[in-house]
Parts: sequence; structure tokens; C-alpha cells
Amino acid sequence: MSAEESRPAQRQLVVWRGDEVPVAHDIPGPGDLRDDTKTGRLLIGSLVRAQLGLSLMCLMIALTVTISFPLIAALVPAVSRTRVAGLPVTLIVLGFAFYPVFLAVGWFYHRQARQLEARFTDLVNPAGRRPDD
Amino acid sequence: MSDAAVGAIAFVTLLTIVVGARGIRVARTPDDFMVAARQVPPALNAAAISGEYLSAASFLGIAGLIVSQGLGSLWYSVGYTAGYLVLLLLVAAPLRRFGAYTIPDFADGRLGSKGLRQAATALVLVIGWFYLLPQMKGAGITLQWVLGTPYWIGVVTLGVVVSGNIAMGGMKGITFVQCFQYWLKLCAIGIPALVLLIATGHDSARNLQPGNAPVFTRATVVDVPQAVDFTLTRPTTATVSGMLDQRQYRHQAVPLCACRHVAGAGAQLGFAAGAPVPTSLAMAPSPGVSWDSPLSAAGTDGAHPLLSTYGIIIATFFGAVGLPHILVRFYTNPDGEAARRTTLIVVLLLSTFYLFPAVLAVLTRAHAPQLYLAGDSDNVLLALPSLLLPGLPGELLAALVAAGAFAAFLSTSSGLLVSVAGALSHDFMNRGVTSFRWCAIAAGAVVTAASLLIGRFSLALLVGWAFAIAASSFCPLLVLGIWWRQLTRAGAAAGIVVGGGACLAAIIASMTGAATHGWSAVLLGQPAIWTVPLAFSVMIVTSLLTQRTLPGNVGQVMLRMHLPEALSRQDYRSFPLERARRAPGR
Repeated sequence: MSAEESRPAQRQLVVWRGDEVPVAHDIPGPGDLRDDTKTGRLLIGSLVRAQLGLSLMCLMIALTVTISFPLIAALVPAVSRTRVAGLPVTLIVLGFAFYPVFLAVGWFYHRQARQLEARFTDLVNPAGRRPDD
Repeated sequence: MSDAAVGAIAFVTLLTIVVGARGIRVARTPDDFMVAARQVPPALNAAAISGEYLSAASFLGIAGLIVSQGLGSLWYSVGYTAGYLVLLLLVAAPLRRFGAYTIPDFADGRLGSKGLRQAATALVLVIGWFYLLPQMKGAGITLQWVLGTPYWIGVVTLGVVVSGNIAMGGMKGITFVQCFQYWLKLCAIGIPALVLLIATGHDSARNLQPGNAPVFTRATVVDVPQAVDFTLTRPTTATVSGMLDQRQYRHQAVPLCACRHVAGAGAQLGFAAGAPVPTSLAMAPSPGVSWDSPLSAAGTDGAHPLLSTYGIIIATFFGAVGLPHILVRFYTNPDGEAARRTTLIVVLLLSTFYLFPAVLAVLTRAHAPQLYLAGDSDNVLLALPSLLLPGLPGELLAALVAAGAFAAFLSTSSGLLVSVAGALSHDFMNRGVTSFRWCAIAAGAVVTAASLLIGRFSLALLVGWAFAIAASSFCPLLVLGIWWRQLTRAGAAAGIVVGGGACLAAIIASMTGAATHGWSAVLLGQPAIWTVPLAFSVMIVTSLLTQRTLPGNVGQVMLRMHLPEALSRQDYRSFPLERARRAPGR
């Protein structure tokens, strides 16, 4: 009996409660951001760069689409004399066609920015993730 | 002109006062006045932003400019919408998270400098006043057209209604008013556009053919309400009653040369189908740019149209970011994520609205070319419905347009006056509700007086200039302040003073007619093309030279602007409290 008791258990299943995950101190967390540590600055810097990259990419798309039209029309004067369904092509492009482009770019940006922020939140604070996410 | 129009304008004005007066009971503290206590849900806020943003320029100015200068003027409506896309991409969420509700607050909070704050306040006043002038002009010409009253009566009426309303109700009332105004404006431009489109059909698009000067599509008698100078593109014969070229006619056929003529007030000119349309000098198109070209030379007399078009694009795309009355609205969003959603909805609402000025302008060109004899391009939309649809239906539509236009002046000038008065009372006087009220009244009086002097400039052009100043001062301040750690006080101050000052000087030079042709006309008339890059580079270079004065708290400020709500809430342990407070609003 005593011999069996002193023998180390061969198999153990350890179950941790979700909110008691031991975290070593060198893993970045919300505290780093709050205390403005070197890690915290790196973390927030990476988020700002990612957000700025996304914004500039979307801005470039919208700008390229819009500013190329007057350039094309200036280089090829025939463009402004073209009609589509009896209406000047200028009216169709400037009056109607750009708005869906702006909406699409805005919607895409909104979605991507939200995902970027969600990923950043997970990275910084994995324990805060809700089970249904 | 018609009782219906008078009634409609009176109705809109009274409704604005009544809805605004509801705010008096709700507004108690300065914070209520200024930002509606930060509890406005995105859909309501987006409609309020759009209602505040769609001004006299959008409602009357763009359509008039398209009719007179050509389709290139559509860049104004494209740019006014794209401005919100740029705002969404670069500014909306970080600015809301930062928590500043005016641009001077942002400058102060981000860089901690009182001097910079006062420079920013001075610029808020310049942009606000520049933007208020066209609203007053719009009210003047609308009442002039509807009632036949002198120009100044409309200007003074708007000044009194708006400053009185704001002094009483403040912003809380205005949020409801602005939201209502958006839907009113959409109906007031959308319904006439659709009805007239159906009524006229898609025939006789002869005036939309490429390269043609407009001609009368059917025999037309043109009434000349006020004396007008006009020209013809080729000789024709007209049946004239009344004064023409200083001679009195009584229903006589008169040959007219392709040169300048003067028609007296009350004259009637009858033209046969196919005759060239006389064009008043005030509506003369820019030389060198055809009507259907996507280039615009408005305000620069036809010189270098491509460059001038890019000037409009830069000013309008980047100007919305720096408009003082719009940023206040972003503070009323609950958080950064809501600010993004709000902005996206704004882009949708503006896109919908801007479909209609184009439709109405094309209808004018195709079916009512006699409006080229109107003395002022900004009157075109008011006169169109009764010409295309004679009788009661046309009169009712005209009343709707006049009411919508008046709503546009009321809402935009209210928003502008709130920010101008707020900036004045907050930075130059003792803070508080009483001081805010007096500042609203004083600022309204000054603008009213000034706008009696600017009658000859197109609404869209004037508003475009306000955008150019904003784009070359506050846009770099906000964009660099949000995304660039190394911005310093000296850099920010130098950038807004040099950029905004250069732009303002160029515009004043252009207004006084310092340069009317060639490169100087473009560089002064559409200054954004060089002042925006100038402001950015001055800000960056000066900041790099003064890195020693970098504010010590820049890390924390960047964190506050960019940290997602999920983390910042947890950090400050305020999440349950905020959720409980915001629940009823959702």
C-alpha cells in the first residue's frame, strides 16, 4: 500500500481554468502598452504602421481611379466626345460612376481596419478573447 | 414669385426654429451645447453630418456651374463626396479616440502649445467665415427670386434666424434639425429631378451633342426679368418686345449680330426653333473648354484646364478633413469604431444626393436653354421647374426646390456658426453658455455684413475656396498629427501659418482680379495645387529641424489615438459603465 502511494503518478491530466493561464512576464500584454515599455512601443508602432499602410493603399486606389480620368481626357480629346446611350461619357463617369467606387473602397477599408484591430487585440490580450469569437 | 414657394420657405424656417427650440429644454450644460453629450447613434449622426455638409454650393451652386461652365464642374460634387472617403481613411477613428472636439483642441492636446492653439482658432474663424459667405449669398438670391425682395433682405433674414436659433438651442437641438434637413434636401432635389426627367422624356437631346453651342429645341419666348448683357454665337433674328440695345421695340422682328447686346428689364425675346441660345455674360463659359469635357476651368478663365481640374480635386478631396464644423460632429460618436461606421454612411448619403444636381443641370441644358440668359448661374435650379412644367405642378416643384435650398443655407450656416462661436468663446472669451450665445450673435452679424459684398462670385467657387484653405492648413495638421510621431509644435505652427496664409493670399488676389489669364490665373484661382504640398513639406521639414522639442507624452497620445476600444476599455476598467450608459441609444 505504502509502496504504491509513494510511486509517482504515471499519467496526469492537468486541466487549467481559462482565466488562470500562467503567463510568463516576457510575453507582451496590455500592461506593456499602458506602461509605455519598449515592447509596448513596438506593438503600438506595428499597429499604426499596419493601419497607415491600409489607409494609404485605399487612398491610392481611389485617387488613381479619379485622377486618371481627366488625364486621359486631356491626352485623348476624343474621349470627351464619346457618348454612351446618348449621354456624354463625362456625365456618366463624373455624375454616376465614381460613387460606387468610393463606397466599395470605404467598405473594404472599414472591414479590413476592424479585422486589423481584432487581430491586434488578440495578440496583445489572448485571454480577453470571448469563446464565440 | 409664387405663394407656394413663400409658404414652403416659411414652413422650413419655422420648423427649424421649433425643432431647435426643443433643444432648449434638453440643453443644460456647455457640454450639451457643444457636442450633444456624445450619445448620438451612427445612422442619426451620419444624416446630421450630411445635412450640415450639403450647403448652398451643393444645392444650387454645382448645378448652376455645370449649366454655365460644363460637365467638368461635376468634380465639385465628386470631390465633396470623396472628402469623406479621405476622412474615413485617415482621420475618423483616431480623431474620435483622441477625444478632441475642435481642431484647436486637437492641436493643443496633441502638441501641448497655447500659441498653436490660438493660430488654429484664428484659422477656424477664417475658414468658417469664408464658408458662411456663400450660404448668405444663397439665401439672398433665393429670397430675391421668390419674393422679389432686394438681395440684402434674404441675407439679413438668414443671419437673424440662424444666430438666434443657435444662441437659444445650441447643438443638441441642431443635431435633430440637421438630420431632418438632410432628408428634406434629398427630397427637395430628388423629387423635382425625377418628376422633370419623366415629364420631359429622353428626346431632343440635341444640346447634349458633342461640341455644339446650345440652340432652342422649339420656338421659345424668353422673358428678361432684369436687364442683362448677352452674346450670341452666330447671327439670328428675334421677335422683340421692349428695350433692346437702347431701342424700344413692339413685337418686331430684329436681326441680331453675333456680338454683345443689352436687353432691358421686362423685355421679351422670341426665338425660332434651331436659333442659337443667347448667353448672358455672367454665364459665359470658359474659353477653351468644351461643355462636355471632364476638365473644369471655373474661376481661372480657361487657362491650363488640366491643372485647374487637379486644383479642384486636391482642394475638395483633402479639404473636408479640415472643415471645422464637421469635426465637431465626430466627437458625438460613442467610439472610434462608430465614427468609421458613421463616415461610411455619410459617403452613401452624399453619393445619393449628388446624383440629382447632375440630372437637373443636364435637363436644363437639354430642354431649358433660355436659362443661359439668367443673370446669375446660381438661379438656374430655382427657375427650371416652372419652365419645364407649366402651371401648378411646376410651381409646386419650384416651391420644393426653394424650400430645400433654404434648408441648405440654414443647416450649413448653423453648423458653421456653432463652431465659429464655439472657437471664439472658448479661446478668446470666458467659457460658458452666455459667452457662447453672444459670440454666436456677434459672428452672425459680421458675416451678414460681409456677404453683402460678394454677390458676383459663384456659390460653388466660394465654397471650393473655403475647402482649399482647410486643405492647406488643417488637413496636414490632422494627418501628420495622427500618423507621424515626429511632428513638433514649431512644425505644426509653421505649416498651418504658411500653408493657410499662402492659400488665403492667393484667393484674395484672385478675387480682386490680380491675374486673369495664364499660369498666374490658375495658381491663384485654384491655389490648392501648390499650397497643400507646400503646407505638408513646411510641416515635415520644420519638424525634422526641431526634433529636440518633441513633446514628452507623444507615446501616450499615439496610444490613445490608435488603441482599439476592446483594449482601451479593459485598460481603464470603464467598460461596464460605458456599456450601461450607451445601451438606450442603440
